Amino acid sequence: MNKPLIHRSPMPGLGLSMGITITMLSLVVLLPISALLLKGATFGLDNIWETVNRERVWAALYLSFRLSLFAALFNLVFGVILAWVLVRYRFPGRRILDAAVDLPFALPTAVAGIALTALYAPNGVFGSIAKELGFKIAYTQWGIFIALIFVGLPFVTRTVQPVVQEIEHEVEEASATLGASRAHTIRRVIIPMLMPAALTGFALALARAVGEYGSVIFIAGNIPLKTEIAPLLIVIQLEEFNYDAASAIGIAMLLISFAMLLVINLIQVWSRRRIGYV
Amino acid sequence: MSDITTFRSATEETPLARRVLIGIAAGGLGLLVFAPLIVVFAAALQQGLAAAIASLGNQDALSAIKLTLIITAISLPLNAAFGIASAWFITKFDFRGKAFLITLIDLPFSVSPVVAGLCIILMFGTNSLVGGWLVASGYPIVFALPGIVLATMFVTFPFVARELIPVMIEQGRTEEEAALTLGASGWRVFLTVTLPNIRWALLYGVLLCNARAMGEFGAVAVVSGKIRGQTATMPITIEMLYNEYLSVAAFSMAAVLALLALVTLLLKTALELRLADQLSASNRH
Repeated sequence: MNKPLIHRSPMPGLGLSMGITITMLSLVVLLPISALLLKGATFGLDNIWETVNRERVWAALYLSFRLSLFAALFNLVFGVILAWVLVRYRFPGRRILDAAVDLPFALPTAVAGIALTALYAPNGVFGSIAKELGFKIAYTQWGIFIALIFVGLPFVTRTVQPVVQEIEHEVEEASATLGASRAHTIRRVIIPMLMPAALTGFALALARAVGEYGSVIFIAGNIPLKTEIAPLLIVIQLEEFNYDAASAIGIAMLLISFAMLLVINLIQVWSRRRIGYV
Repeated sequence: MSDITTFRSATEETPLARRVLIGIAAGGLGLLVFAPLIVVFAAALQQGLAAAIASLGNQDALSAIKLTLIITAISLPLNAAFGIASAWFITKFDFRGKAFLITLIDLPFSVSPVVAGLCIILMFGTNSLVGGWLVASGYPIVFALPGIVLATMFVTFPFVARELIPVMIEQGRTEEEAALTLGASGWRVFLTVTLPNIRWALLYGVLLCNARAMGEFGAVAVVSGKIRGQTATMPITIEMLYNEYLSVAAFSMAAVLALLALVTLLLKTALELRLADQLSASNRH
Protein backbone atom coordinates (compact mmCIF):
# COMPACT_ATOMS: atom_id res chain seq x y z
CA MET A 1 0.00 0.00 0.00
CA ASN A 2 1.39 3.34 -1.00
CA LYS A 3 -0.12 5.85 1.39
CA PRO A 4 0.29 9.49 0.42
CA LEU A 5 2.10 11.71 2.93
CA ILE A 6 -0.95 13.93 3.35
CA HIS A 7 -4.41 12.92 2.12
CA ARG A 8 -6.25 15.45 -0.03
CA SER A 9 -8.98 17.08 1.98
CA PRO A 10 -11.58 19.80 1.41
CA MET A 11 -10.85 21.20 4.88
CA PRO A 12 -9.37 24.70 4.79
CA GLY A 13 -6.30 25.87 6.67
CA LEU A 14 -3.86 23.04 5.95
CA GLY A 15 -0.93 25.31 5.17
CA LEU A 16 -1.59 27.72 8.04
CA SER A 17 -2.17 25.13 10.77
CA MET A 18 0.73 22.95 9.63
CA GLY A 19 2.99 26.00 9.37
CA ILE A 20 2.19 27.27 12.88
CA THR A 21 2.47 23.77 14.37
CA ILE A 22 5.82 22.94 12.86
CA THR A 23 7.38 26.39 13.28
CA MET A 24 6.44 26.77 16.94
CA LEU A 25 7.22 23.17 17.83
CA SER A 26 10.66 23.54 16.27
CA LEU A 27 11.43 26.91 17.84
CA VAL A 28 10.21 26.20 21.37
CA VAL A 29 10.88 22.47 21.81
CA LEU A 30 12.84 20.72 19.08
CA LEU A 31 15.68 23.20 18.43
CA PRO A 32 16.54 23.64 22.14
CA ILE A 33 16.51 19.86 22.68
CA SER A 34 18.70 19.29 19.63
CA ALA A 35 21.06 21.95 20.99
CA LEU A 36 21.49 19.71 24.05
CA LEU A 37 22.04 16.62 21.91
CA LEU A 38 24.49 18.52 19.69
CA LYS A 39 26.39 19.67 22.77
CA GLY A 40 26.55 16.05 23.90
CA ALA A 41 27.81 14.94 20.48
CA THR A 42 30.61 17.52 20.37
CA PHE A 43 31.53 16.86 24.01
CA GLY A 44 31.92 13.19 23.15
CA LEU A 45 30.70 9.95 24.65
CA ASP A 46 33.95 9.36 26.59
CA ASN A 47 33.80 12.80 28.19
CA ILE A 48 30.11 12.36 29.07
CA TRP A 49 30.92 9.04 30.72
CA GLU A 50 33.82 10.60 32.61
CA THR A 51 31.57 13.39 33.89
CA VAL A 52 28.77 11.09 34.93
CA ASN A 53 31.01 8.37 36.34
CA ARG A 54 31.77 10.18 39.58
CA GLU A 55 30.53 9.24 43.01
CA ARG A 56 28.57 12.46 43.53
CA VAL A 57 26.76 12.21 40.16
CA TRP A 58 25.93 8.51 40.59
CA ALA A 59 24.65 9.22 44.10
CA ALA A 60 22.39 12.01 42.79
CA LEU A 61 21.06 9.96 39.85
CA TYR A 62 20.47 6.91 42.07
CA LEU A 63 18.68 9.06 44.67
CA SER A 64 16.48 10.81 42.09
CA PHE A 65 15.39 7.68 40.26
CA ARG A 66 15.00 5.48 43.36
CA LEU A 67 12.89 7.98 45.32
CA SER A 68 10.85 8.86 42.21
CA LEU A 69 10.08 5.18 41.71
CA PHE A 70 9.00 4.75 45.35
CA ALA A 71 6.88 7.93 45.23
CA ALA A 72 5.24 6.84 41.97
CA LEU A 73 4.52 3.38 43.46
CA PHE A 74 2.93 5.02 46.50
CA ASN A 75 0.85 7.21 44.16
CA LEU A 76 -0.13 4.15 42.12
CA VAL A 77 -1.74 2.49 45.14
CA PHE A 78 -3.11 5.64 46.74
CA GLY A 79 -4.31 6.99 43.38
CA VAL A 80 -6.33 3.85 42.58
CA ILE A 81 -7.95 3.90 46.05
CA LEU A 82 -8.71 7.61 45.64
CA ALA A 83 -10.23 7.12 42.17
CA TRP A 84 -12.39 4.26 43.47
CA VAL A 85 -13.62 6.20 46.51
CA LEU A 86 -14.36 9.37 44.49
CA VAL A 87 -16.34 7.55 41.79
CA ARG A 88 -18.11 4.78 43.72
CA TYR A 89 -18.95 6.23 47.11
CA ARG A 90 -21.23 9.11 48.01
CA PHE A 91 -20.29 10.92 51.19
CA PRO A 92 -20.27 14.54 52.43
CA GLY A 93 -17.22 16.46 51.22
CA ARG A 94 -16.66 14.26 48.17
CA ARG A 95 -16.67 17.21 45.75
CA ILE A 96 -14.10 19.07 47.84
CA LEU A 97 -11.82 16.01 47.92
CA ASP A 98 -12.26 15.61 44.16
CA ALA A 99 -11.23 19.23 43.54
CA ALA A 100 -8.33 18.96 46.01
CA VAL A 101 -6.73 16.15 43.99
CA ASP A 102 -5.75 18.74 41.38
CA LEU A 103 -4.11 21.14 43.82
CA PRO A 104 -0.59 19.81 43.13
CA PHE A 105 -1.13 20.77 39.45
CA ALA A 106 -2.34 24.26 40.32
CA LEU A 107 -0.04 25.16 43.21
CA PRO A 108 3.38 26.46 42.07
CA THR A 109 6.17 24.07 43.04
CA ALA A 110 8.11 26.72 44.98
CA VAL A 111 5.01 27.37 47.11
CA ALA A 112 4.56 23.64 47.73
CA GLY A 113 8.25 23.37 48.57
CA ILE A 114 8.29 26.00 51.31
CA ALA A 115 4.91 24.86 52.66
CA LEU A 116 5.99 21.22 52.98
CA THR A 117 9.27 22.31 54.57
CA ALA A 118 7.40 24.47 57.09
CA LEU A 119 5.20 21.47 57.97
CA TYR A 120 7.85 18.76 58.19
CA ALA A 121 10.83 20.75 59.57
CA PRO A 122 11.71 19.84 63.18
CA ASN A 123 9.89 22.99 64.40
CA GLY A 124 6.88 22.44 62.11
CA VAL A 125 3.50 20.92 62.99
CA PHE A 126 4.22 17.39 61.71
CA GLY A 127 7.99 17.67 62.05
CA SER A 128 7.80 18.27 65.78
CA ILE A 129 5.59 15.20 66.27
CA ALA A 130 8.11 13.17 64.26
CA LYS A 131 10.91 14.62 66.40
CA GLU A 132 9.15 13.45 69.58
CA LEU A 133 9.07 9.98 68.06
CA GLY A 134 12.75 10.20 67.16
CA PHE A 135 12.30 10.77 63.40
CA LYS A 136 13.58 13.49 61.16
CA ILE A 137 11.61 14.13 57.95
CA ALA A 138 12.67 17.44 56.40
CA TYR A 139 16.31 17.62 55.25
CA THR A 140 16.40 13.81 54.87
CA GLN A 141 15.40 11.45 52.05
CA TRP A 142 11.96 11.14 53.69
CA GLY A 143 11.38 14.83 52.97
CA ILE A 144 12.25 14.36 49.29
CA PHE A 145 9.94 11.32 49.19
CA ILE A 146 7.01 13.37 50.54
CA ALA A 147 7.63 16.23 48.07
CA LEU A 148 7.74 13.75 45.16
CA ILE A 149 4.48 12.12 46.31
CA PHE A 150 2.90 15.59 46.37
CA VAL A 151 3.85 16.53 42.80
CA GLY A 152 2.80 13.16 41.36
CA LEU A 153 -0.43 12.79 43.34
CA PRO A 154 -3.04 13.73 40.67
CA PHE A 155 -1.75 11.62 37.76
CA VAL A 156 -2.93 8.10 38.67
CA THR A 157 -6.25 9.29 40.11
CA ARG A 158 -7.06 11.33 37.01
CA THR A 159 -6.22 8.54 34.55
CA VAL A 160 -8.05 5.82 36.54
CA GLN A 161 -11.23 7.79 37.40
CA PRO A 162 -12.82 7.63 33.91
CA VAL A 163 -12.11 3.88 33.71
CA VAL A 164 -13.81 3.20 37.07
CA GLN A 165 -16.76 5.20 35.77
CA GLU A 166 -17.05 2.96 32.72
CA ILE A 167 -16.88 -0.42 34.48
CA GLU A 168 -20.20 -2.08 33.82
CA HIS A 169 -22.00 -3.45 36.82
CA GLU A 170 -22.86 -6.63 34.92
CA VAL A 171 -19.22 -7.69 35.01
CA GLU A 172 -19.11 -7.50 38.78
CA GLU A 173 -22.52 -9.17 39.04
CA ALA A 174 -21.40 -12.02 36.81
CA SER A 175 -18.34 -12.54 38.96
CA ALA A 176 -20.48 -12.55 42.13
CA THR A 177 -23.03 -14.94 40.60
CA LEU A 178 -20.26 -17.35 39.74
CA GLY A 179 -19.42 -17.47 43.42
CA ALA A 180 -16.48 -15.11 43.71
CA SER A 181 -16.16 -13.21 46.97
CA ARG A 182 -15.99 -9.41 46.76
CA ALA A 183 -12.26 -9.46 47.46
CA HIS A 184 -11.76 -12.08 44.74
CA THR A 185 -13.76 -9.97 42.24
CA ILE A 186 -11.70 -6.91 43.04
CA ARG A 187 -8.42 -8.78 42.70
CA ARG A 188 -9.20 -10.80 39.57
CA VAL A 189 -11.73 -8.64 37.71
CA ILE A 190 -11.52 -4.99 38.69
CA ILE A 191 -7.81 -4.44 39.30
CA PRO A 192 -6.81 -5.96 35.90
CA MET A 193 -9.29 -3.62 34.17
CA LEU A 194 -7.80 -0.59 35.90
CA MET A 195 -4.17 -1.61 35.37
CA PRO A 196 -3.45 -0.11 31.91
CA ALA A 197 -4.80 3.32 32.91
CA ALA A 198 -3.09 3.13 36.29
CA LEU A 199 0.22 2.37 34.59
CA THR A 200 -0.20 5.39 32.31
CA GLY A 201 -0.69 7.55 35.40
CA PHE A 202 2.25 5.83 37.07
CA ALA A 203 4.52 6.64 34.12
CA LEU A 204 3.43 10.29 34.11
CA ALA A 205 3.96 10.58 37.88
CA LEU A 206 7.37 8.95 37.57
CA ALA A 207 8.51 11.25 34.75
CA ARG A 208 7.31 14.26 36.71
CA ALA A 209 9.05 13.18 39.91
CA VAL A 210 12.37 12.47 38.24
CA GLY A 211 12.56 15.97 36.79
CA GLU A 212 11.07 17.79 39.78
CA TYR A 213 13.14 20.62 41.20
CA GLY A 214 11.13 23.41 42.82
CA SER A 215 9.28 21.52 45.52
CA VAL A 216 12.26 19.30 46.42
CA ILE A 217 15.18 21.69 46.93
CA PHE A 218 13.64 23.42 49.96
CA ILE A 219 12.87 20.24 51.89
CA ALA A 220 15.89 18.22 50.75
CA GLY A 221 18.69 19.92 52.66
CA ASN A 222 20.84 19.35 49.55
CA ILE A 223 23.74 17.53 51.21
CA PRO A 224 26.08 16.05 48.54
CA LEU A 225 25.98 12.22 48.38
CA LYS A 226 22.97 12.15 50.72
CA THR A 227 20.08 14.43 49.73
CA GLU A 228 21.26 16.00 46.48
CA ILE A 229 18.93 15.30 43.53
CA ALA A 230 20.11 15.10 39.91
CA PRO A 231 18.32 18.26 38.66
CA LEU A 232 20.02 20.25 41.45
CA LEU A 233 23.40 18.96 40.28
CA ILE A 234 22.65 20.38 36.82
CA VAL A 235 21.76 23.75 38.36
CA ILE A 236 25.02 23.74 40.37
CA GLN A 237 27.05 23.05 37.20
CA LEU A 238 25.20 25.85 35.37
CA GLU A 239 25.90 28.32 38.16
CA GLU A 240 29.60 27.57 37.64
CA PHE A 241 29.06 28.03 33.86
CA ASN A 242 30.21 24.44 33.36
CA TYR A 243 27.89 23.78 30.41
CA ASP A 244 29.65 20.55 29.36
CA ALA A 245 29.12 18.85 32.70
CA ALA A 246 25.54 20.16 32.97
CA SER A 247 24.76 18.78 29.50
CA ALA A 248 26.35 15.41 30.31
CA ILE A 249 24.16 14.98 33.40
CA GLY A 250 21.11 16.27 31.49
CA ILE A 251 21.66 13.70 28.72
CA ALA A 252 22.16 10.91 31.28
CA MET A 253 18.84 11.87 32.90
CA LEU A 254 17.04 11.91 29.54
CA LEU A 255 18.43 8.48 28.61
CA ILE A 256 17.47 6.85 31.92
CA SER A 257 13.97 8.45 31.79
CA PHE A 258 13.32 7.19 28.27
CA ALA A 259 14.54 3.70 29.16
CA MET A 260 12.17 3.64 32.15
CA LEU A 261 9.21 4.89 30.12
CA LEU A 262 9.94 2.23 27.50
CA VAL A 263 9.83 -0.52 30.13
CA ILE A 264 6.54 0.83 31.49
CA ASN A 265 5.12 0.89 27.95
CA LEU A 266 6.06 -2.76 27.50
CA ILE A 267 4.41 -3.70 30.82
CA GLN A 268 1.33 -1.82 29.64
CA VAL A 269 1.15 -3.68 26.35
CA TRP A 270 1.51 -6.95 28.30
CA SER A 271 -1.24 -6.08 30.80
CA ARG A 272 -3.59 -5.00 27.98
CA ARG A 273 -3.06 -8.31 26.19
CA ARG A 274 -3.66 -10.22 29.39
CA ILE A 275 -7.16 -8.83 29.79
CA GLY A 276 -8.02 -9.44 26.18
CA TYR A 277 -8.19 -6.14 24.32
CA VAL A 278 -5.39 -4.39 22.51
CA MET B 1 -33.37 -11.91 60.98
CA SER B 2 -34.25 -10.30 57.68
CA ASP B 3 -33.56 -6.69 58.47
CA ILE B 4 -33.53 -4.73 55.22
CA THR B 5 -30.88 -2.28 56.47
CA THR B 6 -28.27 -5.02 56.77
CA PHE B 7 -28.79 -6.15 53.19
CA ARG B 8 -25.69 -5.67 51.08
CA SER B 9 -25.42 -6.15 47.34
CA ALA B 10 -22.79 -8.64 46.22
CA THR B 11 -21.20 -5.92 44.12
CA GLU B 12 -20.51 -3.62 47.04
CA GLU B 13 -17.84 -3.55 49.71
CA THR B 14 -18.72 -4.06 53.37
CA PRO B 15 -19.56 -0.84 55.24
CA LEU B 16 -16.37 -1.24 57.24
CA ALA B 17 -14.25 -1.51 54.08
CA ARG B 18 -15.98 1.57 52.70
CA ARG B 19 -15.26 3.55 55.82
CA VAL B 20 -11.63 2.49 55.85
CA LEU B 21 -11.16 3.42 52.17
CA ILE B 22 -12.87 6.79 52.58
CA GLY B 23 -10.71 7.36 55.67
CA ILE B 24 -7.53 6.59 53.72
CA ALA B 25 -8.58 8.94 50.90
CA ALA B 26 -9.57 11.83 53.17
CA GLY B 27 -6.65 11.33 55.56
CA GLY B 28 -4.09 11.11 52.76
CA LEU B 29 -5.38 14.23 51.03
CA GLY B 30 -5.58 16.02 54.38
CA LEU B 31 -1.94 15.33 55.21
CA LEU B 32 -0.57 15.82 51.70
CA VAL B 33 -2.73 18.56 50.21
CA PHE B 34 -4.85 20.45 52.74
CA ALA B 35 -2.17 20.78 55.43
CA PRO B 36 0.41 22.49 53.16
CA LEU B 37 -2.28 24.83 51.84
CA ILE B 38 -3.32 25.87 55.34
CA VAL B 39 0.31 26.36 56.38
CA VAL B 40 0.91 28.83 53.53
CA PHE B 41 -1.86 31.13 54.77
CA ALA B 42 -1.05 30.62 58.46
CA ALA B 43 2.61 31.52 57.91
CA ALA B 44 1.72 34.55 55.79
CA LEU B 45 -0.61 35.87 58.49
CA GLN B 46 1.58 35.06 61.50
CA GLN B 47 2.20 38.79 62.08
CA GLY B 48 -1.23 39.91 60.95
CA LEU B 49 -2.80 40.83 57.67
CA ALA B 50 -1.25 44.32 57.63
CA ALA B 51 2.31 42.92 57.77
CA ALA B 52 1.52 40.45 55.01
CA ILE B 53 0.11 43.14 52.71
CA ALA B 54 2.95 45.55 53.53
CA SER B 55 5.53 42.92 52.50
CA LEU B 56 3.94 42.79 49.05
CA GLY B 57 4.14 46.56 48.63
CA ASN B 58 7.89 47.03 48.23
CA GLN B 59 9.61 47.67 44.92
CA ASP B 60 11.06 44.17 44.39
CA ALA B 61 7.81 42.40 45.18
CA LEU B 62 5.83 44.66 42.86
CA SER B 63 8.29 44.23 40.01
CA ALA B 64 8.16 40.43 40.48
CA ILE B 65 4.36 40.47 40.28
CA LYS B 66 4.52 42.70 37.19
CA LEU B 67 7.11 40.46 35.50
CA THR B 68 5.08 37.31 36.14
CA LEU B 69 1.98 38.98 34.67
CA ILE B 70 3.90 40.13 31.57
CA ILE B 71 5.38 36.66 30.98
CA THR B 72 1.99 35.03 31.31
CA ALA B 73 0.38 37.62 29.04
CA ILE B 74 2.92 36.83 26.30
CA SER B 75 3.24 33.05 26.60
CA LEU B 76 -0.44 32.23 27.14
CA PRO B 77 -1.87 33.57 23.80
CA LEU B 78 1.07 32.09 21.89
CA ASN B 79 0.52 28.64 23.41
CA ALA B 80 -3.23 28.92 22.88
CA ALA B 81 -2.63 29.75 19.20
CA PHE B 82 -0.28 26.77 18.92
CA GLY B 83 -2.80 24.52 20.66
CA ILE B 84 -5.62 25.51 18.30
CA ALA B 85 -3.45 25.27 15.16
CA SER B 86 -1.94 21.90 16.07
CA ALA B 87 -5.30 20.44 17.13
CA TRP B 88 -6.82 21.61 13.82
CA PHE B 89 -3.91 20.16 11.83
CA ILE B 90 -4.03 16.84 13.71
CA THR B 91 -7.80 16.32 13.79
CA LYS B 92 -8.92 17.77 10.43
CA PHE B 93 -6.31 16.17 8.18
CA ASP B 94 -4.95 12.66 7.62
CA PHE B 95 -1.23 12.36 7.23
CA ARG B 96 1.60 9.99 7.96
CA GLY B 97 3.50 10.36 11.25
CA LYS B 98 0.55 11.75 13.20
CA ALA B 99 1.30 9.66 16.28
CA PHE B 100 4.93 10.77 16.13
CA LEU B 101 3.88 14.42 15.96
CA ILE B 102 1.66 13.99 19.05
CA THR B 103 4.59 12.37 20.87
CA LEU B 104 6.79 15.36 20.01
CA ILE B 105 4.14 17.79 21.29
CA ASP B 106 3.97 15.82 24.57
CA LEU B 107 7.76 15.74 24.90
CA PRO B 108 7.99 18.68 27.37
CA PHE B 109 6.05 16.62 29.93
CA SER B 110 8.83 14.05 30.15
CA VAL B 111 11.71 16.54 30.19
CA SER B 112 12.79 18.00 33.53
CA PRO B 113 12.16 21.79 33.69
CA VAL B 114 15.81 22.19 34.67
CA VAL B 115 16.89 20.31 31.53
CA ALA B 116 14.47 22.50 29.53
CA GLY B 117 16.22 25.59 30.89
CA LEU B 118 19.59 24.04 30.08
CA CYS B 119 18.47 23.41 26.48
CA ILE B 120 17.44 27.06 26.08
CA ILE B 121 20.77 28.27 27.47
CA LEU B 122 22.65 25.99 25.05
CA MET B 123 20.52 27.25 22.16
CA PHE B 124 20.46 30.97 22.91
CA GLY B 125 23.22 31.58 25.52
CA THR B 126 26.12 33.94 24.75
CA ASN B 127 28.38 30.95 23.95
CA SER B 128 26.07 29.60 21.25
CA LEU B 129 26.09 30.58 17.60
CA VAL B 130 22.58 32.05 17.56
CA GLY B 131 22.83 33.56 21.03
CA GLY B 132 26.20 35.21 20.41
CA TRP B 133 24.85 36.92 17.33
CA LEU B 134 21.66 38.02 19.12
CA VAL B 135 23.61 39.44 22.09
CA ALA B 136 25.94 41.29 19.69
CA SER B 137 22.91 42.80 17.98
CA GLY B 138 21.54 43.90 21.35
CA TYR B 139 18.84 41.26 21.84
CA PRO B 140 19.94 39.00 24.68
CA ILE B 141 17.62 36.00 25.21
CA VAL B 142 19.12 34.26 28.23
CA PHE B 143 19.07 36.14 31.55
CA ALA B 144 16.40 38.40 30.02
CA LEU B 145 12.65 38.44 29.35
CA PRO B 146 12.65 36.46 26.04
CA GLY B 147 14.48 33.54 27.69
CA ILE B 148 11.99 33.40 30.56
CA VAL B 149 9.10 33.49 28.08
CA LEU B 150 10.67 30.67 26.05
CA ALA B 151 11.26 28.57 29.18
CA THR B 152 7.66 29.14 30.30
CA MET B 153 6.35 28.24 26.84
CA PHE B 154 8.45 25.06 26.80
CA VAL B 155 7.04 23.69 30.07
CA THR B 156 3.43 24.65 29.26
CA PHE B 157 3.61 23.74 25.57
CA PRO B 158 1.34 20.64 25.43
CA PHE B 159 -1.48 21.84 27.73
CA VAL B 160 -3.93 23.42 25.25
CA ALA B 161 -3.34 20.93 22.44
CA ARG B 162 -3.86 17.99 24.82
CA GLU B 163 -7.26 19.31 25.92
CA LEU B 164 -8.43 20.20 22.40
CA ILE B 165 -7.41 17.08 20.45
CA PRO B 166 -9.74 14.56 22.21
CA VAL B 167 -12.73 16.94 22.04
CA MET B 168 -12.16 17.68 18.35
CA ILE B 169 -11.77 13.98 17.54
CA GLU B 170 -15.02 13.27 19.37
CA GLN B 171 -16.86 15.95 17.41
CA GLY B 172 -15.60 14.80 14.02
CA ARG B 173 -15.59 16.81 10.81
CA THR B 174 -19.20 16.58 9.62
CA GLU B 175 -20.37 19.95 10.97
CA GLU B 176 -17.43 21.76 9.35
CA GLU B 177 -17.98 19.88 6.08
CA ALA B 178 -21.65 20.90 6.06
CA ALA B 179 -20.69 24.55 6.58
CA LEU B 180 -18.15 24.35 3.75
CA THR B 181 -20.71 22.82 1.38
CA LEU B 182 -23.00 25.72 2.16
CA GLY B 183 -20.26 28.07 0.99
CA ALA B 184 -18.76 29.36 4.25
CA SER B 185 -15.15 30.52 4.16
CA GLY B 186 -12.46 28.74 6.18
CA TRP B 187 -12.29 31.40 8.88
CA ARG B 188 -16.05 31.58 9.11
CA VAL B 189 -16.23 27.80 9.61
CA PHE B 190 -13.65 28.01 12.36
CA LEU B 191 -15.22 30.98 14.16
CA THR B 192 -18.89 29.98 13.91
CA VAL B 193 -18.75 26.17 13.88
CA THR B 194 -15.55 24.88 15.49
CA LEU B 195 -14.85 27.53 18.12
CA PRO B 196 -18.27 27.33 19.83
CA ASN B 197 -17.83 23.55 20.02
CA ILE B 198 -14.39 23.66 21.60
CA ARG B 199 -14.67 26.80 23.74
CA TRP B 200 -14.92 25.05 27.12
CA ALA B 201 -12.07 22.68 26.36
CA LEU B 202 -10.03 25.64 25.13
CA LEU B 203 -10.73 27.59 28.31
CA TYR B 204 -9.83 24.54 30.37
CA GLY B 205 -6.48 24.12 28.62
CA VAL B 206 -5.72 27.84 28.93
CA LEU B 207 -6.55 27.67 32.64
CA LEU B 208 -4.10 24.82 33.28
CA CYS B 209 -1.52 26.56 31.13
CA ASN B 210 -2.00 29.79 33.10
CA ALA B 211 -1.53 28.13 36.50
CA ARG B 212 1.66 26.45 35.38
CA ALA B 213 2.98 29.57 33.60
CA MET B 214 2.63 31.80 36.66
CA GLY B 215 4.17 29.20 38.95
CA GLU B 216 7.01 27.78 36.87
CA PHE B 217 10.18 27.61 38.91
CA GLY B 218 12.83 25.15 37.69
CA ALA B 219 13.14 26.24 34.06
CA VAL B 220 12.87 29.93 34.93
CA ALA B 221 15.43 29.61 37.75
CA VAL B 222 17.95 28.34 35.22
CA VAL B 223 17.42 30.87 32.40
CA SER B 224 16.54 34.00 34.35
CA GLY B 225 19.84 34.59 36.15
CA LYS B 226 17.67 35.64 39.15
CA ILE B 227 18.41 39.36 38.89
CA ARG B 228 16.41 41.11 41.61
CA GLY B 229 13.97 43.66 40.26
CA GLN B 230 14.69 42.61 36.66
CA THR B 231 14.37 38.88 35.96
CA ALA B 232 13.05 37.61 39.31
CA THR B 233 9.52 36.27 38.83
CA MET B 234 7.14 35.63 41.74
CA PRO B 235 8.31 32.03 42.40
CA ILE B 236 11.98 33.10 42.14
CA THR B 237 11.31 35.95 44.58
CA ILE B 238 9.72 33.47 47.00
CA GLU B 239 12.93 31.44 46.96
CA MET B 240 15.11 34.54 47.51
CA LEU B 241 13.00 35.79 50.43
CA TYR B 242 12.84 32.31 51.96
CA ASN B 243 16.61 31.89 51.79
CA GLU B 244 16.99 35.28 53.50
CA TYR B 245 14.73 34.01 56.33
CA LEU B 246 12.11 36.67 55.50
CA SER B 247 9.37 34.20 56.31
CA VAL B 248 6.35 36.54 56.31
CA ALA B 249 7.34 38.12 52.99
CA ALA B 250 8.05 34.73 51.37
CA PHE B 251 4.79 33.18 52.54
CA SER B 252 2.77 36.31 51.69
CA MET B 253 3.86 36.09 48.08
CA ALA B 254 3.29 32.32 48.24
CA ALA B 255 -0.22 33.00 49.55
CA VAL B 256 -0.97 35.19 46.51
CA LEU B 257 -0.01 32.31 44.22
CA ALA B 258 -1.93 29.84 46.42
CA LEU B 259 -5.05 32.02 46.12
CA LEU B 260 -4.57 31.94 42.36
CA ALA B 261 -4.34 28.14 42.54
CA LEU B 262 -7.61 27.99 44.51
CA VAL B 263 -9.37 30.22 41.97
CA THR B 264 -7.99 27.97 39.21
CA LEU B 265 -9.43 24.87 40.92
CA LEU B 266 -12.79 26.58 41.42
CA LEU B 267 -13.02 27.60 37.74
CA LYS B 268 -11.79 24.17 36.71
CA THR B 269 -14.52 22.40 38.68
CA ALA B 270 -17.14 24.70 37.14
CA LEU B 271 -15.73 24.10 33.66
CA GLU B 272 -15.69 20.34 34.15
CA LEU B 273 -19.43 20.38 34.81
CA ARG B 274 -19.94 22.40 31.60
CA LEU B 275 -17.65 20.11 29.65
CA ALA B 276 -19.49 17.01 30.90
CA ASP B 277 -22.83 18.57 29.88
CA GLN B 278 -21.46 19.42 26.46
CA LEU B 279 -20.00 15.96 25.87
CA SER B 280 -23.20 14.21 26.91
CA ALA B 281 -25.19 16.62 24.72
CA SER B 282 -23.00 15.88 21.72
CA ASN B 283 -23.35 12.14 22.36
CA ARG B 284 -27.11 12.41 22.23
CA HIS B 285 -27.45 13.20 18.56
